[in-house]
Amino acid sequence: MLRLLLSTALATGLAVTAQAQEITVGAANVSSYLDPGRDHSNVGSQFYYNAFDTLIGKNHDVIGAEWRPALATEWQLVEPKVMELKLRQGVTFHNGEEMTADDVVFSLNRMYQATFAPYLVRSRDRLGNFTGAEKVDDYTVRITVEKEEPLWETLLNLQQVMIIPEEYTKALAGDPTVAEDSDFEAFSLAPVGTGPYRVSEFVPGERVVYERFDGFWGEPAPLARATVRHIPETASRLTALKTGEADIVTNIAPDQLALIESDDSLRAVGSATPLFHVMIMNMNHPKLRDPRIRQAMSLAIDRDTLNEALWLGKAVVPSSHTLAEYGDLYMPELKTFEYNPEKARQLLQEAGYDGFEITFDTHPVYYTNGLLAAQAITEMWAEVGLKGRVDVAEMWSGNDPEMMARNWSNPMYFADPFGSFGVMWAPGGPSQSEGRFNTDAEYAEIWERFRFSKDVAARKAAYAELMERIRQDPPVLPLYRPYESWAMKKNVNWAPKPGHIPYVLDFRAGSISFSDS
Amino acid sequence: MIMFALRTVLKMAITLFVIITLVFFATRLSGNPIDIVVGEGLTQEDRAVLTAYFGLDAPVWEQYLRYLRSILAGEFGISFLERRPVSQIVAERIGPSLQLLASSLALTLAVAVPLGIAAALYRKSWIGSAVMIVAFLGYAVPNFVLAIFMILIFAFTLNWLPVVGNGSPWHFVMPTIAMSGVLIAALTRFTRNAMLDVLGQDYMRTARAKGLPEHVVIFKHGLKNAGVTILSVLGLQIAGMAASGNVVIEAIFSWPGIGDLLVRSAIMRDYPVLQFGVISVALAVVVINAVVDIAYAWADPRIRLAGG
Repeated sequence: MLRLLLSTALATGLAVTAQAQEITVGAANVSSYLDPGRDHSNVGSQFYYNAFDTLIGKNHDVIGAEWRPALATEWQLVEPKVMELKLRQGVTFHNGEEMTADDVVFSLNRMYQATFAPYLVRSRDRLGNFTGAEKVDDYTVRITVEKEEPLWETLLNLQQVMIIPEEYTKALAGDPTVAEDSDFEAFSLAPVGTGPYRVSEFVPGERVVYERFDGFWGEPAPLARATVRHIPETASRLTALKTGEADIVTNIAPDQLALIESDDSLRAVGSATPLFHVMIMNMNHPKLRDPRIRQAMSLAIDRDTLNEALWLGKAVVPSSHTLAEYGDLYMPELKTFEYNPEKARQLLQEAGYDGFEITFDTHPVYYTNGLLAAQAITEMWAEVGLKGRVDVAEMWSGNDPEMMARNWSNPMYFADPFGSFGVMWAPGGPSQSEGRFNTDAEYAEIWERFRFSKDVAARKAAYAELMERIRQDPPVLPLYRPYESWAMKKNVNWAPKPGHIPYVLDFRAGSISFSDS
Repeated sequence: MIMFALRTVLKMAITLFVIITLVFFATRLSGNPIDIVVGEGLTQEDRAVLTAYFGLDAPVWEQYLRYLRSILAGEFGISFLERRPVSQIVAERIGPSLQLLASSLALTLAVAVPLGIAAALYRKSWIGSAVMIVAFLGYAVPNFVLAIFMILIFAFTLNWLPVVGNGSPWHFVMPTIAMSGVLIAALTRFTRNAMLDVLGQDYMRTARAKGLPEHVVIFKHGLKNAGVTILSVLGLQIAGMAASGNVVIEAIFSWPGIGDLLVRSAIMRDYPVLQFGVISVALAVVVINAVVDIAYAWADPRIRLAGG
């Protein structure tokens, strides 16, 4: 019996080696729907790049903006507020339809002029400046904006404006000539794009199977087949690597890296993900109105110690709300946030802090190390004389007027400060709308300059002003960029590329290969 | 008899109604799907748009009435996450769960009944004691601990058995054993006790006095009589296992079943799926209970007369 088991296991192992063009990924989370337009979740971002294309592409091997032709081969402003794009010819969707201007206009306007609620919500925060797209001829489209747009390429490279087929989508439900909500809902279970892989099987929450799409317009996909399957337990993901049931696994906790490093057949790759775990503070809580209290809450936190203790020093602690991925807009020279317990004590004294309790809300598990960080933060507060208490609850409290402080995250939805800070802290954005952050006419004016100045230097100057406002009257403290790891068999050459948004599983040409071992 | 059956069914309906009501309101107290389904960073305006999209803008009592109506029509709503009927999602997931349940049941019966009989027959020898000690130990080890130990030995170290999903017969080995462990322990003890009860009965002595061979006495007269009680207990254990045991074991072995679905819908606050999951487990327990009640009454007139 044992011999039989053993030989079966061996045979399975051999079969895997023989077909190195197929891989299985064990993922902690698999999407429940696949529609790049409505999705901006960390779970979802894993899946789109393999199967969908944007009009304007990007070199993901480098940090910063190196734009490349993708579904559009050239683009130029024909008027200050009108961009004309020439479309690549001979591009086919996975269902065999040819891509034309109609599909592009349909895809863009489903976001720019959204009526489907999930699209509306996703387009308002980042695509609000885009009024519409129109067809010029079969291979030319024009896109119009409200104000002159400095971020054309960035915002045409977004996951949310990846191109999907018009006829196919409209015919999914109801009237085949009209785009209804039910069409988009059906699309998210049977997605079709133009990328190098087609989604050949999708079981929501369970697995996504990609197969090489032979009609792809660009360099052919290196894998014949890639299966991403849900393996919720970390221990099971690691075991699956050992048994050969997975070639790559996602979301390895920092404390498990040693286990992988000690194994000759496995390796781990990781990076500080371009997103911030942050602490938010409620400016409008009656007890926290004095900015000095919030400054003290922020100055008391030794983020480097948090990094050492919780992330083995592998997270990255920022000096400002800025990320290296921004390229020209990366501003490490800004010293917006610092650790200064002396100053915290002094500010508390000046503000006449009378020892009232400050609650720090956290979800028990949503953010990796979130609860531990909350506990450590309240300890650090105690060091400067602030009385803190951790409140563990699953409910989101960011819109609760009683909320004093809590953890949150500010992901980088696209590589520009507008794609992280800009989405979360815009005038009228989520933070202000939830009632914990205030902006005034001056802030709005600076924000306009930051958002719409065409000159990078002017944008940087405006961003520095915004950061100064945040420093003086702080609603947020970015704690760190969390460290994320993937583990794989030694013969698999894969790593997250620096030019992507967080968590993208990129299996395109040049992104994955195998070495003989 | 018919009156008794009707009473039982009525009780069942009331229980289910109470459970449906509790589940409906409890899920709504536990958090908002919009925070989780849609992710970070929503303005209040956007929140209102999505609340309406998910049909959560109506007053809760109105949502409740709407839900009751849809249940009566045989529909359990549309998943917030997947935007397709819950019944369709569950249909996809129920197969793997039932397979695992069936294999665990088969293993449990195959192991526990012979062990229980042996423990009863040899209750005074070391065999009986040994069986009971093992059964006690089995009862004390939670199924997930057993699962993790097996994974550590047979997958992680020896690399003999797969751990992910239900792709081949080999995939069933560890989850089946993990699911059955506690059940085997419980059923062994129960079989032993039931057999001990039966062994002392007059008809057993009569059977032996007639000169029947011992195996006929044990299996035909003994086990047959003990069997009814054994099966009724097993039925309830299975209903319980369908509720809780599956969730943990399915998560550990990435089993694409109902348990995994329930965990996800609980985390994501996918109310319609979560509600359906809890209700169907409740339904299973209630139905098995009712069947056991009716079967008892059918077998024993005293129960249906006293059943008030």
